[in-house]
Amino acid sequence: MDFVQNFPAISILLCLFAGIISSGLKGKVAKHVNTVLILIVTVLSASTLLYVLDTGEAFVYVMGKFPAPWGNEIRAGVLEAFMALFFCIIMLLSMFGGRKKLVDEVEESKTFLYYVLTNLLLSSLLALVYTNDLFTAYVFVEINTIAACGLIMIRQNGRTIEAAARYMIMSLLGSGLLLMGICMLYDLTGHLLMSNIKEQVALIAASGEYRIPLLVTIALMSIGLSIKSALFPFHAWLPDAYGYSTVSSAAILSSLVSKGYIFLLIKIIYRVIGFDIFGASKIINVLFIFGLMGMIFGSLSAIKENDIRRMIAFSSVAQIGYIYMGIGMGTQAGMAASVFHILSHAATKSLLFIAAIGLTDVSAGSRKFIDLTGAAYRNKWAGVAFTVGSLSMVGVPLFSGFISKLLFAQAAVQVNGKMLPALIVLGISTVLNAIYFMKTVIRIYTPVEEDRHSSVTFKDMRLYAVTLVCFIVLNVVLGVSSQPIVDLIGQGLAMFS
Amino acid sequence: MGANLLANYGEAVAMILFGIGFGNLLLQSNLIKKIIGLNIMDTAIYLFLAEKGYIEGRIAPIVVDGVQSVEAYINPIPSGLVLTGIVVSVSVSALMLSITIRLYRRYHTLDLDEISTRLKKEGL
Amino acid sequence: MYYMILAILFPILAGTYLLVRKEMKNRRNLLITVGAALIITTALVAAALCFSGNGMLTLFSLTDKLPIIFKVDEISVIFSVMTVIIFVCAGFFSFEYMKHEEKEKRYYGFYMIVFGILIALCFAGNLITFYLFFEMLTLSSMPLVLHNGSREAILAGLKYLFYSLCGAYMALFGLYFIERYGNTLTFSPGGVISAAAAAEHGGILLGVAMAMLLGFGVKAGMFPMHAWLPTAHPVAPAPASAVLSAVIVKAGILAIVRVVYYIFGASFLRGTWVQTAWMVLALITVFMGSMLAYREPVLKKRLAYSTVSQLSYILFGLAVMDTGSVTGSLLHVLSHGFIKSALFLCAGAIIYMTGKTRVEELRGIGKEMPLLMWCYTIVSLGLIGIPPTGGFVSKWYLAEGALSSGIPVFDWLGPVILLVSALLTAGYLLPVTIQGFFPGADYDYRTFQKKEPSWFMTIPVLILTVLSVFIGLFPNGLVNYLMQIIEKIV
Repeated sequence: MDFVQNFPAISILLCLFAGIISSGLKGKVAKHVNTVLILIVTVLSASTLLYVLDTGEAFVYVMGKFPAPWGNEIRAGVLEAFMALFFCIIMLLSMFGGRKKLVDEVEESKTFLYYVLTNLLLSSLLALVYTNDLFTAYVFVEINTIAACGLIMIRQNGRTIEAAARYMIMSLLGSGLLLMGICMLYDLTGHLLMSNIKEQVALIAASGEYRIPLLVTIALMSIGLSIKSALFPFHAWLPDAYGYSTVSSAAILSSLVSKGYIFLLIKIIYRVIGFDIFGASKIINVLFIFGLMGMIFGSLSAIKENDIRRMIAFSSVAQIGYIYMGIGMGTQAGMAASVFHILSHAATKSLLFIAAIGLTDVSAGSRKFIDLTGAAYRNKWAGVAFTVGSLSMVGVPLFSGFISKLLFAQAAVQVNGKMLPALIVLGISTVLNAIYFMKTVIRIYTPVEEDRHSSVTFKDMRLYAVTLVCFIVLNVVLGVSSQPIVDLIGQGLAMFS
Repeated sequence: MGANLLANYGEAVAMILFGIGFGNLLLQSNLIKKIIGLNIMDTAIYLFLAEKGYIEGRIAPIVVDGVQSVEAYINPIPSGLVLTGIVVSVSVSALMLSITIRLYRRYHTLDLDEISTRLKKEGL
Repeated sequence: MYYMILAILFPILAGTYLLVRKEMKNRRNLLITVGAALIITTALVAAALCFSGNGMLTLFSLTDKLPIIFKVDEISVIFSVMTVIIFVCAGFFSFEYMKHEEKEKRYYGFYMIVFGILIALCFAGNLITFYLFFEMLTLSSMPLVLHNGSREAILAGLKYLFYSLCGAYMALFGLYFIERYGNTLTFSPGGVISAAAAAEHGGILLGVAMAMLLGFGVKAGMFPMHAWLPTAHPVAPAPASAVLSAVIVKAGILAIVRVVYYIFGASFLRGTWVQTAWMVLALITVFMGSMLAYREPVLKKRLAYSTVSQLSYILFGLAVMDTGSVTGSLLHVLSHGFIKSALFLCAGAIIYMTGKTRVEELRGIGKEMPLLMWCYTIVSLGLIGIPPTGGFVSKWYLAEGALSSGIPVFDWLGPVILLVSALLTAGYLLPVTIQGFFPGADYDYRTFQKKEPSWFMTIPVLILTVLSVFIGLFPNGLVNYLMQIIEKIV
């Protein structure tokens, strides 16, 4: 066994220990521990990725001393390692971008808790990405939920606590369904390791027995995870949670936490149920339709919104809809498009949240559109970044959003029954996206007569500006040289089965 | 169908309880009742696991007087899962209760909808 | 070959530089910068046209199948020459005109960016490159529309954006299909749809072709998606309206030329329902645009409606798919470009000097600014189609092509509608001249004073007028050149 194979396990454990250690540290030290931790994990994930690309096949790492059917396992393939790497990068940038705001919004005596929670969140995300054991996945789903709830609540005001309560309730409903699904699957197959379950499920499906229990299981797990990732119509908690928490939290929640659940769902589809069996069940159509509805209704709610943060949050509902639409197409191409959209949405949405906070800060903290007039002149970096994010969301070529739309459309053209609805809804949603994002861009670039607010320069916000530039570069890279990444995703998905 | 239901009455009860708990968690507006619903839901799952894991006439795989044949023991994993699940649900309930306390201190009510309307009035 | 990239990048970078840099204290410096940028771009485009040959330049690939390609062919030459001439003229006109508008730096910044993007559209070598710059064109020309920041302008800008994005999406929709059924997205004369694909998926491909026509037709103001044009063009500053109405809408025409003759191929579409539907839509637009222009009291709006109508002359010619009619269309692209920009610049000069916008206020204007009004009159005659101006030649070829095409009903209906519309054109353009030069007996000559604008304004108008007349007087070389292209593609 090569030493690199230890890296996934090491990175998960490192995050857990860093969380524990940080709880005894002061805020400033915990901040540095957190940064160093994420950097280390980034390096570890990158080397895992290189290793897997080099060997060309996924490896299984046995946790503890018990072999396959009994023990707990970690499995790392191309896609897992790549996701871990990408999550780390986004997390690092989100933390940097929101760092200044964190100082204002969180009591100083509690900042260390924020870093404890982020460390835990990272560990649970990594575990969700790497684990090969369903029950472990469930446990880390719960850890993820609790950490995310803490991230929402760390900024103390009535709104965030209420949002956290709503978030917890919906999440608990979701994880209840997920757990029930896992238990039934265990009952049907007698295994908890994904690879073993898949063999048994294939046998059961071939024999034709237990068709209804199998269907119920698939339904429970996919609905449970889609509730947790805020698929329409289970999104009621989302705007408050993303809209009022501190900005790093909003960025992390929208671009990582929900994506972690979706990634778990994709893993379940490929590695637990089996792609064909999942595709044959009718659940896939339910996901497809909910995805389409989310794309439209999310955008409509965003158009009505008068608050920039909540508008971006509602746009997330629409984007999650895109991802589920891709999953619902039931083809490899659709799935690859969804995975690409996970990346592109993560890169874009966190950029938008962080840019929006720069704009509201120079408008006396007001988030209403009317007060944001001309904000882009007061904070030029944020203005440009917001524009780039918006263009990417609308799907203008050269930015990542265009490539994901292209991939979705290419996938849709290949599916007969779902082609027309998918393309039409894609079109409507593109136009709706354009309406509210371009409205905002025009608003922030409309000059005001005598400017009451102060403007900021590069010197006031070095870290912030550098973060924005990194995000923009990430977006453009995803948009311009997407082919290697698409190939990587295809290779990773092939490695899943 | 009916016969299966009777034979598996434990699972049937678990499913009914799960439904009750789920409904309460989703529909109640009182936070404490929601938490009770959550606990009912989780407990129902543990009941389901325990019921599935137990086989009449067998004992837990704790070796007391020499190893007996496989037929004598039950599978210990479901019981292990129940224990893990209980730990998770305890921590989640604790977190929910702490959120409830926070909200009650601020708004002196447990009704989530009322809290929302008040927040809108505050215009935060 | 790298001149192509330079010709595209230089204006875009210059525009970005203008946008990013601090406000210049001295207006003169700004004008010198812009003037230099315009001239350098002209030189670069000329170099690109001369030295590129038939080379293709692949910049990079979005995905394996979607490379960004630039290429110069004959169509690029026609469109890019027109773009450069009009942009330079309108640019110099702006030097004087923009004195009375605010945020000049921003205006010139976006003006240069739009310039660069239009050049890129002319040089685009495949559909995805074209689409990329088409979207960028919408976004970068929008600030020109909403330049003065009034509520009306912002609403107009949003309307423009909404229509354009709808259209662009319909075009994109087609792109997905062509990528699947056609072998390539590269423009090649005669089309890229193979016979096998045409036979197997003919029905769906026709639907796709219609969607793309409608989608790109939005930019060219084709009925039923024309409503943005009369709203958006007049609210922009006059030189911007001139380029919007004369060049930017031509991007829609260029798109349709590329899609019909370089992607689907004329032989694939000839005789199908798509051709019929297209001709019907174009003729409706021709007639309706003229009617609306006839009833419109505000001069700039009237000119915008006239654009709607005149662009559909071009579209009709393209739809007939006959050698003569396509020649007429391409000629009309040029002559309409010069004429309409001259008209808008005249309207701008009138607004700048007198502040009058409505047609009935313009009595006696010919006495006040005779040179300008003479130009106005000459180009108006051109637009109506009276010899010896460019409009006559292009309309002649259009009508002749339609008559000889042999398409039932349309071979006589088309020319008739074109003729009726020409009369309406006379009806809405000439009253300005008549009232301007012959204000009537009750005109008070005591208030009369000379208001001829400065040379910065008159020279560009003069140049455009001379060009439009020149096309009419010496059309042979141009027509032969066009015939060569058209024989390859029709």
